[in-house]
Amino acid sequence: MSLKYVTPVAMFKKYLPKDYVELVDFGPFGKTQDEAGPGNMGQFKELMEEHPMCSGCWMAYYIRLIFASLPCPEETVTLGTAGCGRLAISQAAVPFIYGNYGDQNAMASGLSRAFRLRFPDKQKDVITIAGDGGTMDIGFSMTMHSWIRGERFTTIMLDNEVYGNTGGQESGMSPKGAVLKMAPGGKNFEKMPATALAKAAGCVYIVKMSPTNIKKAAKVIRRAIFVAREVGPTFIHAYTSCNIEYSIPTEEVFADARAQEKDRFQFEEYMTDAAKEVIDRIEAEEKAAHRAKKGIVAEEVN
Amino acid sequence: MYYVAKVNADMCAEYKCNTCTLYCPEANTLMFDKVGNTSWVDEDRCKGCALCVYVCTDMLSRNCITMEMVHGKED
Ligand SMILES: Cc1ncc(C[n+]2csc(CCOP(=O)(O)OP(=O)(O)O)c2C)c(N)n1
Ligand code: SF4
Ligand code: SF4
Ligand code: SF4
Ligand SMILES: [Mg+2]
Repeated sequence: MSLKYVTPVAMFKKYLPKDYVELVDFGPFGKTQDEAGPGNMGQFKELMEEHPMCSGCWMAYYIRLIFASLPCPEETVTLGTAGCGRLAISQAAVPFIYGNYGDQNAMASGLSRAFRLRFPDKQKDVITIAGDGGTMDIGFSMTMHSWIRGERFTTIMLDNEVYGNTGGQESGMSPKGAVLKMAPGGKNFEKMPATALAKAAGCVYIVKMSPTNIKKAAKVIRRAIFVAREVGPTFIHAYTSCNIEYSIPTEEVFADARAQEKDRFQFEEYMTDAAKEVIDRIEAEEKAAHRAKKGIVAEEVN
Repeated sequence: MYYVAKVNADMCAEYKCNTCTLYCPEANTLMFDKVGNTSWVDEDRCKGCALCVYVCTDMLSRNCITMEMVHGKED
C-alpha cells in the first residue's frame, strides 16, 4: 500500500476512523527508519494495531518490531497461517495473506515470482511469518521445498516451542523433556535443528536469535529482506516465548528471553558470500545517506 | 477493574530514555512524548503485563513505572 493509495480525499477525513487518519498523517509510509523505525517506536503511528494476543506475549512484541523494521512497508506483503502470530499480523496496515495451515511458503513462492513478472521495475518484499508448528511441522514440506527451489523471499519463524494457539501441544521445535499437552511425561525427542536444515536446503542468510536487543534484531530483519530481494531464500529463527503454555509470569518474560540467549537461542548468523556482498553494499549506502542527512542538518543549524 | 501501567512523568523526564516504549507488546500503547521527554500509557490499550516495569526497574533501576488498579466506566 503506498501513501497515495491510503490518503483519503480531504473532505472525507472527518468521517474516517481516528486510527486510520492517524496512520495516514503520522504513520511510517514513505518515511525513513530514522523518522519512523524501531528506535523511535511510540513516537509515530505504528502499522500494527490493537490485537487479541495475550498480555505480555513476547511474540506480539517481536511482530511489532518486524513491522517497525520493514525497509519499505508500502511495498511489502506478509503471508502467514493459523497460530497466535496471525492474530496480530492481520491487524497491521500491510496486506496479509492467509491460506491453509502451513502453506505460507508455497503461496509466497508463487506470489514473489508473480510480483517479479508483474512489476519488473519495482521492489516488492514478500515475507512469511508463521509459528514453529506452521513452519517446521505441518508446513515443513512447503518450507523446505521453497528453500530448495531457491525462492527469493524471507521466512520468519516465531518459535514459542509449542502449539500456542490450540492450547499447548508439543511441536517439533519443543525442547526435549518439555512437559506439554500430548507430552505429559516430557517430550521424548530433540528440538528440530531448524537453522541446519535451512542451510542444507540452500538458504543464503540464516539467523537464530532471541530478540532482546532491538537494534540487532531490527538489523537482522532488514538484512534478511535485502538479501532475499537479490540473492535467495533467507530465514530468521526467533525465540518468541509463550508465557501461557510455559507458565512464565509476564513480568519475567523479558528475563526469560535473556536467559534463552545463553541457552537454546545463542546468536547464530550465517551468510553466503553473495549475501554478504548485498549486506555490505546496502549498509554502506545507508550509512552514507545517514551521514549526508546529518551534514544537511548541521548546515541548517549553522 | 483492571491493571494498567502508570508512568511517573516527572521522574521519567529526568532521563533521556524511551526504552520501555520499545518493548511493550502492544503497538501505540506505551507512547513517548518528545516535548515533555516522558513515556505515557494509553490506559485503554494497556494489557497490564508489567513488561515495561521490568525494563524500567529491573534493567535500568529507574523505577518510574508502577502497576495500578483502575476502574472502567461500568464498574
Ligand atoms: C490443517 C490444520 N490442522 C490443524 C489446525 C489447527 N491449528 C491451528 S493453529 C495450530 C498450531 C499452531 O502452532 P504454531 O504454528 O507453533 O503457532 P503458535 O500458535 O504457537 O504461534 C493448529 C494445529 C489447522 N488450523 N489446520
Ligand atoms: S498463547 Fe502464548 S504465544 Fe499465543 S498469544 Fe498467548 S502468550 Fe502469546
Ligand atoms: S524505561 Fe523508565 S525512564 Fe525510561 S522512558 Fe520508560 S519510564 Fe521513562
Ligand atoms: S503493562 Fe504491558 S501493555 Fe501495559 S504499557 Fe506496560 S508493557 Fe505495555
Ligand atoms: Mg508455536
